[in-house]
Amino acid sequence: MIALTLGCGLLLSACSGNQSGGSAGEAPAADGKATVTWLNILHTPSPPTETVLNKIEEATNTNIEFSWIPDASKEERLNTSLASDSLADIVTLTILDNSSVRNALKAGVFWEVGPYLDEFPNLAAISPEMRTSASIDGKLYGVPMQKQVARNGVIIRKDWLDKLGLEVPRTTDELMEVAKAFTEQDPDGNGVKDTTGFMDRSDLVYGAFKTLSSYFGTPSVWSVSEDGKVTPEFESEGYIKTMDYMKQLYEGGYINKDFAVTAKTDQQQNFSQGKAGIYVGALFDSKNLLNDARGVQDNMELVLVNDITSTGNESDRAIWSTTNGVGGLLSFPRSEVKDEEELKRVLKFVNDLMSEEVYALMTYGIEGVHYTADEKKAVTITDTSLWEQEVQPLAGSRPKEPGYEIHDANPLKAEADRLIQENTEFAVLNPMFSLESPTFSSQGSELQKIITDATYKYILGKISLDDFKAAVSSWRKAGGDQIIAEYEAAYKAVNG
Amino acid sequence: MKAADAPLVPLQVKPKKKREPLQLSKSLRKHKLLYLMILPGFIYFVIFKYFPMGGLIISFQDYQPFLGVSESPWVGFKHFERLFTEPTFVMLLRNTLLLFAMEIVFFFPLPILLAVMLNEVRHKLFKNSIQTMIYIPHFMSWVIIVSITYVFLNVDGGVVNQILEAMGLQKISFLTSPEWLRPMYIAQIIWKEVGWSTIIYLAAITVVDTQLYEAAEMDGATRLRKMWHVTLPAIRPVIITLLILKIGNTLELGFEHMYLLLNSLNREVGEIFDTYIYTAGLKNGQLSFSTTVGLFKGLVGLILVMAANRLAKKFGEDGVY
Repeated sequence: MIALTLGCGLLLSACSGNQSGGSAGEAPAADGKATVTWLNILHTPSPPTETVLNKIEEATNTNIEFSWIPDASKEERLNTSLASDSLADIVTLTILDNSSVRNALKAGVFWEVGPYLDEFPNLAAISPEMRTSASIDGKLYGVPMQKQVARNGVIIRKDWLDKLGLEVPRTTDELMEVAKAFTEQDPDGNGVKDTTGFMDRSDLVYGAFKTLSSYFGTPSVWSVSEDGKVTPEFESEGYIKTMDYMKQLYEGGYINKDFAVTAKTDQQQNFSQGKAGIYVGALFDSKNLLNDARGVQDNMELVLVNDITSTGNESDRAIWSTTNGVGGLLSFPRSEVKDEEELKRVLKFVNDLMSEEVYALMTYGIEGVHYTADEKKAVTITDTSLWEQEVQPLAGSRPKEPGYEIHDANPLKAEADRLIQENTEFAVLNPMFSLESPTFSSQGSELQKIITDATYKYILGKISLDDFKAAVSSWRKAGGDQIIAEYEAAYKAVNG
Repeated sequence: MKAADAPLVPLQVKPKKKREPLQLSKSLRKHKLLYLMILPGFIYFVIFKYFPMGGLIISFQDYQPFLGVSESPWVGFKHFERLFTEPTFVMLLRNTLLLFAMEIVFFFPLPILLAVMLNEVRHKLFKNSIQTMIYIPHFMSWVIIVSITYVFLNVDGGVVNQILEAMGLQKISFLTSPEWLRPMYIAQIIWKEVGWSTIIYLAAITVVDTQLYEAAEMDGATRLRKMWHVTLPAIRPVIITLLILKIGNTLELGFEHMYLLLNSLNREVGEIFDTYIYTAGLKNGQLSFSTTVGLFKGLVGLILVMAANRLAKKFGEDGVY
């Protein structure tokens, strides 16, 4: 049935493909503002309300019309939008390794913006490294969304550490000890053994696994040797060590038993309800975790840690960065943005979005309504639930996140920002990020399932190390070898 | 009748083949109102069912949406080769067929049993309220049912595991063990659909001639005997028809339901054609390949339904066509 519907959709779209588009070329609306349509990704349950949007429209002198795609179904929706040519003036592309997206980019569905960036002050400020990272075959098919390079770390219950007389852990062994103590020594003092060390979710990348793997010296996704040989992360020693570490956590019960099926919202909720004391994820999550704990775990104190290593040597510090700081591309389809003049108009709009004024609107909301600020531009959110409704949905669409003067006055958020900034220095980049492998684009995520499944099974003690290695070799046979060969060739072409 | 017809046959002089088109146009003219009445349905099928089938053509191409059907390169049977040589194929086929077999064995008889039992309930109000209650789960979405199961079955604080623990038994991680996926899947289907599926059987039972029951009673049949010898034979055609329809949907196991249950640890027993098409086609954008998988699935379904129909006819039933 799905295939039939798919076929149906394709045929119908083939017939109607030429009628859509052109909205950017329409005459300005009655109020003198031009209209920009934007196919955007929504990271919150519901889209933003008009309040803040109106202010942004004023500041950029543009009418913005959003079509939202929920983050959870972005692959599916983007693919169908591309296939049926129902795009908008601006399309937010966050999955650059998806084969349809890559093919569309390479086929010239979108404008190449590289030559135009320097005409606009905020866009000209995008660093050359960022531009290279976001390029495909040396061409930049959209404005890169600038994010922090590496934002992950470990969040620990400080009040529990103090209660049990433990130090903030600096090595993975100490972290294990803390997890063990949190599980066995009743840190919440209710007399029942109902806590665990870690609270993790079913995500090997944004959950605990990948961050821990960095501490064990695992490369980020791929590694390249000096003679240009490419190896996947899961063939490294660090990856195996991380699996063993997680296995030890699981067997000892120092992690929630169901982490392999736990969703992010459940994970955060459980942590805030005091079911566990260690959270590994984005460091800025700490603020929300503490907010949600209000009234449930009022004595919760959190400490953020970003300098754990397996050896204890400062020189071994590392933290992964999958996307190299590129949050995605804001791309402009040729079918909607008809000519250079329009392209410049839309680029000007993106440029304006990067101003401090609009950044403040998209991050904190309207002063006096959502937040108050002191003379040092330190912001305190006054109405959290209103902020969550009206501002937070917009925050995911900011074209640039770091590098503004205005900042959060919340000490936890400030600390998180500081540590994330510090992470940049130790970031392990994915060397293949901007390189091309056709097999990876088309089958990469399917092949990755082989590894993901085997990793979980190993951690849960269902398969042995030999079985895991067998899974890796079946990955190689099913297309992995080809991916490696393609990456090696691409790497050679770029680096000589 | 046959004896009377036989002598007539030699009298038909004109060969059959030439007469057929004539007959068609004649019958068209004769019954033009009837044909006019099926026209909307006919048009519906052509536009919404047959025309989209043209899209299947992309399973012989490396289809790229922005190139369109006319520009995309033709690759012959490349995608079929990939499908049949990939190790996933065996897994998909095995999982799909096994789940289907389990559904037929464990789910299919239940609504019949329930309908017969409901039929025996004499108190009208009681019967009606039971019926209403067992229909309700049908209107819940799979998302809700799977979430409820999740809350009940998870290891950290799920009710079922707490009970197991209180009884001194080992906790079971239902959600992550492959051996529990299939029972869980079937149990959820039973919970959701068993009540709703009784409707047709109940309707069939109401038309059973009451004289048959009276006659059976005269012969001294007990209630069980009446069920076995009167009710069940009376609804047998309905059962057969529904079974054939069910087989037609063999590979249509319900994407949403399985997709919600899948995770890294139970994928080897849970991945079915529908979920695979979704990930390969819509998420990874391999439109041609997933169309191939879908085409294969459709063909298998067609063959199965034809076989089942023939089998039904062999056993003296009507079949669906």
